Amino acid sequence: MLTILTVLSLVWIPGQAESPDPQVAALAEEIASKGWIAFSARGEGDTWDVFLCRPDGTGLRNLTATREFEEAAPRFSPDGSKLLFRRMEKGEVIDHDKWGFQGRLMVANADGSNAKPLGEDGALPWASWSTDGGRIACLTVKGIEIHNLATLERVRQMPRNGIYQQLFWSPDGRWFCGVANHQGELWTVVRMNATNGEVNPVREYQNCTPDWCPDSNYMILSSRPAGQPANDGYGYTQLWLVSGDGAEQRLVYGEDGYHIYGGCVSPDARYVLFTKTRGDGGESEKGGGPIGVMRMADAPNIGGESPDLRKVHPDANTAPVLYIGQGWEPHWTYAEIGSAP
Amino acid sequence: MSWSLRFLACVCCAAPFLYLGCGEQPDPGLDDQVTTRGRIEVTAELLEIPGEFPPNKLYDYAYVLKYRVLEVHRGDPGADILYIGHYNPLKPRQAVVDKRVKDIGGNLRRYRAGDCHRMALEVPIDDFYMGGIINEYHAETDAPVYWAVWTNRVVR
Repeated sequence: MLTILTVLSLVWIPGQAESPDPQVAALAEEIASKGWIAFSARGEGDTWDVFLCRPDGTGLRNLTATREFEEAAPRFSPDGSKLLFRRMEKGEVIDHDKWGFQGRLMVANADGSNAKPLGEDGALPWASWSTDGGRIACLTVKGIEIHNLATLERVRQMPRNGIYQQLFWSPDGRWFCGVANHQGELWTVVRMNATNGEVNPVREYQNCTPDWCPDSNYMILSSRPAGQPANDGYGYTQLWLVSGDGAEQRLVYGEDGYHIYGGCVSPDARYVLFTKTRGDGGESEKGGGPIGVMRMADAPNIGGESPDLRKVHPDANTAPVLYIGQGWEPHWTYAEIGSAP
Repeated sequence: MSWSLRFLACVCCAAPFLYLGCGEQPDPGLDDQVTTRGRIEVTAELLEIPGEFPPNKLYDYAYVLKYRVLEVHRGDPGADILYIGHYNPLKPRQAVVDKRVKDIGGNLRRYRAGDCHRMALEVPIDDFYMGGIINEYHAETDAPVYWAVWTNRVVR
């Protein structure tokens, strides 16, 4: 019988350390020991599991390895000692937009041990870590709720002011970001002041899946700019870096023919993770897509020939991207975890 | 009277009945759900559909439509013109329920400007629905957006 790792290795290309591209190989060597990446991928039995690997793709471990559940969307606590993720019944299709509402919230040690459910199915939606890891912010129809993680007591509630999914708490605790209805438009990433609830958009038109940079001043998000001729006028989703006030906006990565999702900046902000898929949305309904890592200093970076994108961004780089395997919604910690192989 | 004249007379007498039999019967859009759900119940005319309903291939959403109230059955809508959000309007109301939005429905199959709907409503929409909302009227009014809980077709 094939083992879990054997199955995944059929689609996993750890490290590309032996890549024929010396620049990619150099990138792999540069990041190999920089902490761990947690991500979701299909494991044995084709159910989704939470995996861990080194940033170069080596040291692959299945942290959940459950055939009776689908487990996905891991998020390290700020100190890297714990993981939050969601566990769904086997066969439940993970919705690329609404996964934060699905299944039960789970908390575990960062090595996957001692996994415990928190609340019932559908409870504690979009749980996001506080700065000290002692609380979680959740998004409900009634508003943003802050819960004590140990007791699940709700300690605060505030209006959500249009935010309807993908809520994330900034590392410094001062802000929330999320996807909101704003000025009559859906798919608008906003920043919300965590004290007074004031909201500002950070980018207009068709953007989503935001995540914070470590300094809490910038966000990484996916954006599908209007006016793209490709894909019958629908265009392709790209990865963008935006300031919290929306004043600064910069392409990080794009590639004609692919939609870029799952943006996650490394704890020192020097690198960024993403996934790329042919279909829009990140393809959590299928198996996700290749997980890529690049240097933030190489942004704006365009992959492939991408003639349409290069016309719009003629000064963009063609910089190395290390692909570490197939998955969805990766997250990065620089903490050391358990006994690494 | 000749046979042809008799035949013509019969046809003339039957014509009104034939017309009524083929045309739609008035329907007030009543059922147990529309009269009990939500806090407000109105019969209203859909004035326009301001844009195209996006396909549901990638995402779900509510679409705000503009109505003129014709009759108030329950509650106080507070205005003659209502802006009402309908979930995934491309889907018939009988098939619109999903894992995220459960307590809605009706017998309406499609939305057409000029049609009348009997609706059970809640307000404001954000207290009852959390998801994407397309609101083409956002710039022209800050009137509250209602949430369509139950939507039935009315034939007047």
